[in-house]
Amino acid sequence: MSSTIDVGTQPTDDQRILRMTINGVQRRGIAEPRMLLVDFIRHELQLTGTHVGCEHGVCGACTVRVDGEVVRSCIMFAVQAEGAQIETVEGLAKDGELNVVQQAFRQEHGLQCGFCTPGMLLATESLLAENPDPSEEEIRDYLSGNVCRCTGYVGIVKSVQAAAKQRSQA
Amino acid sequence: MKPAPFKYAKAETVAEATALLDQHADDVKVLAGGQSLIPLMNMRLARPEVLIDITGIDELSGIEVNGALTIGATTRHVEVLRSNEVRAFAPIIAAAMRHVGHVGVRTRGTFGGSVAHADPASEIPAIVIALDGELTVAGPSSERTVAAADYFVSTFTTDMEENEILTAVRFPYPLDRARWSFHEVARRHGDFALVGVAAVAEVDDAGVCTRARIALSGVSDVPVRATAAEELVVGSTIGEVAAEAGRLAERQIDPGSDFHASAEYRKEVARALVTRALNDMATKGEAR
Amino acid sequence: MAIQETLNTGLNIQPEAEADAVLQRRKYIGMNVLRTEDPAFLTGRGKYTDDVHLTGMLHAAFLRSAQPHARIVSIDKTRALALDGVIDVITGEDLEDTVGPFSTTVHRPEVETVTRAILNSKVALYVGQPLAIVVAESRYLAEDGVDALDVEYEVLEPVMDAEKALEEGSPLLYPEMGTNNFAHIEFQRGDVDECFERADHVFKKRFHAGRFMAAPLEARGVIADWDASGELTVWSSSQVPNLVRTYTAGPLGIAESKMRVISEGVGGGFGMKAHIFDEEVLIPAASQRVGAPVKWIEDRYENLAASLHSKEVIVYLEMAVQDDGTFLAFKGHYIGVGGAWPAHPWTSLIDPLPAASLLPSFYDIEAVGWSIDAPMTNRCPLGAYRGVGWTPGHSARETMIDDIARELGIDPLEIRLKNMIPDGEEFVTVTGMKYDGGSYSASMLKVKEMIDYDGLRQKQAELRKEGRYIGIGWSPWVEPCAWGSEVAKANGFAAEFFDAASVTIEPDGSVTVTTGCHNHGQAHYTTLAQVTADTLGVPFESIRVIENDSATAVYGTGTYASRTAVVAGGAIMRAGSEVRDKIIRLAAHAMEVSPEDIDLAEGKASVKGVPDKVMTMQEIGMLAYYGGPNRIPDTEPTLTATRSYDPPETYSNGTIVAIVEVDIETGKVHLQHIAACEDCGTMLNPMVIDGQMHGAIAQGIGGGMYEDLAYDASGQFLASSLMDYLYPSTTEVPNIEIAHIETPSTVTEGGIKGMGESGTIASPVACLNAIADAISPFGDIKIMKSPIGPNDVREMLRAAAAGSNGSAPATQPADVETRLSQQAEGA
Repeated sequence: MSSTIDVGTQPTDDQRILRMTINGVQRRGIAEPRMLLVDFIRHELQLTGTHVGCEHGVCGACTVRVDGEVVRSCIMFAVQAEGAQIETVEGLAKDGELNVVQQAFRQEHGLQCGFCTPGMLLATESLLAENPDPSEEEIRDYLSGNVCRCTGYVGIVKSVQAAAKQRSQA
Repeated sequence: MKPAPFKYAKAETVAEATALLDQHADDVKVLAGGQSLIPLMNMRLARPEVLIDITGIDELSGIEVNGALTIGATTRHVEVLRSNEVRAFAPIIAAAMRHVGHVGVRTRGTFGGSVAHADPASEIPAIVIALDGELTVAGPSSERTVAAADYFVSTFTTDMEENEILTAVRFPYPLDRARWSFHEVARRHGDFALVGVAAVAEVDDAGVCTRARIALSGVSDVPVRATAAEELVVGSTIGEVAAEAGRLAERQIDPGSDFHASAEYRKEVARALVTRALNDMATKGEAR
Repeated sequence: MAIQETLNTGLNIQPEAEADAVLQRRKYIGMNVLRTEDPAFLTGRGKYTDDVHLTGMLHAAFLRSAQPHARIVSIDKTRALALDGVIDVITGEDLEDTVGPFSTTVHRPEVETVTRAILNSKVALYVGQPLAIVVAESRYLAEDGVDALDVEYEVLEPVMDAEKALEEGSPLLYPEMGTNNFAHIEFQRGDVDECFERADHVFKKRFHAGRFMAAPLEARGVIADWDASGELTVWSSSQVPNLVRTYTAGPLGIAESKMRVISEGVGGGFGMKAHIFDEEVLIPAASQRVGAPVKWIEDRYENLAASLHSKEVIVYLEMAVQDDGTFLAFKGHYIGVGGAWPAHPWTSLIDPLPAASLLPSFYDIEAVGWSIDAPMTNRCPLGAYRGVGWTPGHSARETMIDDIARELGIDPLEIRLKNMIPDGEEFVTVTGMKYDGGSYSASMLKVKEMIDYDGLRQKQAELRKEGRYIGIGWSPWVEPCAWGSEVAKANGFAAEFFDAASVTIEPDGSVTVTTGCHNHGQAHYTTLAQVTADTLGVPFESIRVIENDSATAVYGTGTYASRTAVVAGGAIMRAGSEVRDKIIRLAAHAMEVSPEDIDLAEGKASVKGVPDKVMTMQEIGMLAYYGGPNRIPDTEPTLTATRSYDPPETYSNGTIVAIVEVDIETGKVHLQHIAACEDCGTMLNPMVIDGQMHGAIAQGIGGGMYEDLAYDASGQFLASSLMDYLYPSTTEVPNIEIAHIETPSTVTEGGIKGMGESGTIASPVACLNAIADAISPFGDIKIMKSPIGPNDVREMLRAAAAGSNGSAPATQPADVETRLSQQAEGA
């Protein structure tokens, strides 16, 4: 059965110029369709704060925010983020000052090797945006998709609690 | 771990998507949330030549309650989870959604994608089975409705043709007054279930069950209904037959073994979870 | 049994501590100083290997064996080389003239050396073994190239059962060796036979400790830039950059002076990255061949299947025990389930040898005997991971002690306290290990109080009446730490270890410290600055610590085995004390007083009792470097010293208790709480110590309950993604409560003991013992393997209900001598 519908776009594997807003700045880069969003951010735009841990959507190291929602950028194609608003770890500190969540992670020893940290920070930002006063159980549930191999999560949970408290007092 | 090359197009209408699928039917995949497909592509276990992205099709996304509940295929898990309408219509759906992956998966993953992926250990197919869901499937020239029982064919395989897409999942009757229970045993929080149970029941004023649906995940190549257990429960006081119903469910299934759990384990746990779900419904009417 | 005592003769050298004065003026040591490292990581500016981008850089991907054991008939490069963007395809034959082999051994007479080509394209010995390298313009294209390689395998019979691998007639991984077993070692102290004859009870156990791994969140990665002038720069995600240089320069045929290894940001190492990997040779070789920088980043499949596995040891134990619970003697046979070759350089003995060496732990027994076999099988090589073989050894011993306690009707806490060596004193164990004082009993009693043990036992009894089953698992440990020559020998490794530090006062008075250790999460830039500040008497903020780069820091062996606080800390105390003396002499000379009259604190040298006679560090620095004749005659301008330190044996200790609830119907274990008390002597930074404990315990929870690098009988690898290799997440790790006791080492600089690994040594068995304790009402429950998941719990319960031993396998193990003699006959 052949189609009679006028197909607007035929599939191609051509490289294309992608535009997206990253941390409030309009950026462009070139990608073929198969390029993963994390590779586009890290290698095409050279924002290497977002990390690659598993490339199959389990560990959360590549967590960024796309249009306000936390996503795993290793299981999203860059082409799917055309025109999106993206937030990465590089956008958290303002005017050279660590933000409240970043400060809390330092204060409460929420990081060791630092590799999971960017993803943890972004997931924490989303958690606190959705739920400014989370219980320990809610924190653990929300962050369960972000693996840390160093801290046993004890410092991370405390960091999120401290950040929530700090934000609520602000 | 990088995907093999593929050709990509983003469809704007269902008609365009099905036409493209039809044209490339030899080796094409639909891309929705991509949360199952892209990991497989990264590992090169899936290597379609063509990907048709359907997330730009507005009509496929959304939640509508109109006697029945209709969830558009590309509605993100997180939208279903957050929806007050869904929670009011069938609280068991919201309860099951909390077990679907993790936050970062639920923001991208789609309700219909999870149904069409047809992982027998996944929560949503079990819900679709338990709630007598109806699947709306569009092809290049026509649309059809498939009953849940006919939709799931085997592991990762559905009744759909290569040139068809799932457009919506419809739940025909409200469950706001039904009793329900959802349980699963997974190795870790957020993992696919080793065994899961989604159960709903209606009970009359005398405490007798008038209708029951018990669906199990992780025990076969498709989500299955524990029909013998259902038959026992209907017409009985649930709490009195819960243990026996669990035994019937165990007897009905023939699960496989893998290195996380043996067939024997899955049978025992299916029995335990069915019994537990029925006891939940016998007393308080709902569970986790 | 043949008795051999080749090591640990009790004559270990115990160098005297010389920097005692540092602790007397401590201001920073022991404080929770926030980490200097954090701001870079928190802003996404950590510089990990994959963050490095070089001009003209190409990308490599590996063809890896799909077969566990096969002869490679051919690898056809044609289709791959025809692809756009593929630059080169390299197989073993291409490197025959340029890359030498690895020869791997442990220097003991019982150990055979294994020599092998670093890229073997002729025989595959495990699933994941590198067979060829594709170099291309991008990683995507390199993987396309790998896909386009056509490989023909001739499948050989895989060797998967480690015990059968020891038998005569087993297929061989290296037919020319005539055996799969590269080491058979025996050891005995005291009259073992007499103890076993005298004992009221002889208990036997077989425990199969599971295979798990570090799996750091950042996998490995190597970039090599071998330039036209013959200088080689390697970026490698390693915790031993200097050892990478030392061990790879030979096979690469380059002088170490022409080679620089940078391991700046490393996203977790945990001992796995304390090895020398094939790719650390092959990527430089590829760079040399293609004439451009080449990057390879290990993906998660490669990491799981083909980096390094750990901990798998089959342990046969026998214990001679009196009616009252007194332990007389222990015997053990440890079979390290090795992989395709001994991991370079530690070999798979890094598991069974420490496991056996520490068999007595801190139990005061009369005699001990053990033996080790080290079969190679068609699996990924076995190597070090946090806690090395102490984890499987400890798990076997401590599950067995719980079995015995149940059998004799003695509380598991009481039976341990009864047999414990005394607290606080130096003690030479029956094996000859020299313990430098600890809080063995006190740490157990501290945890007893933390968890309200008696109350918990009562609660357990009440809950059982309601059909709920909680369990309490005890796991007291002693950890050989601060890996230096003596502790290495005490654990069977006859090799020399040390580390070094340089301490320099810059002309402006700021301080630069470098060490040969490696910072990858342990906060060295903070904790070692604390040590430096107190050693010199300068502000913490004036100090910068540099590690992680062979060109900018002194040579040393790196960070592993809980060594840096002691070894680098000690080297800094020694070097810093020398520099402090120079500063004081210089200030005394300048202010015309005697050195005894100088106070040096907070970066100011002042004359005692004369508050306005003060020199700042900047004044002292300028005086030293540029003061010319104003300096002390016959002194050199530089204010620097470099010292090394090879500490005596030191052992930290502590106790972990896990509390679980088991869902009997589903076998699901809910780990409710972990309480621990640790004692690492003088604490540098309690916040960092807590963090090390938390992380190590979480990793042990993984090893005890979740993580399993399983192979099927045909040699296929079953845990090839993180969907099957189960890291504990926030919802599997409970809150972890840590208490501290400080029993300073009697022998090390500053009384510091090493720490960091004990959590992974002791928490698996805390979980296992808690599970067994919870379900013990259902029959004769014995934990015989790890990890234990819900499926295993149900199996134990089914077996217990059927009346047999609630464990698998249910067969009673043959005694150790019988097993050895059977083997001897077979061999």
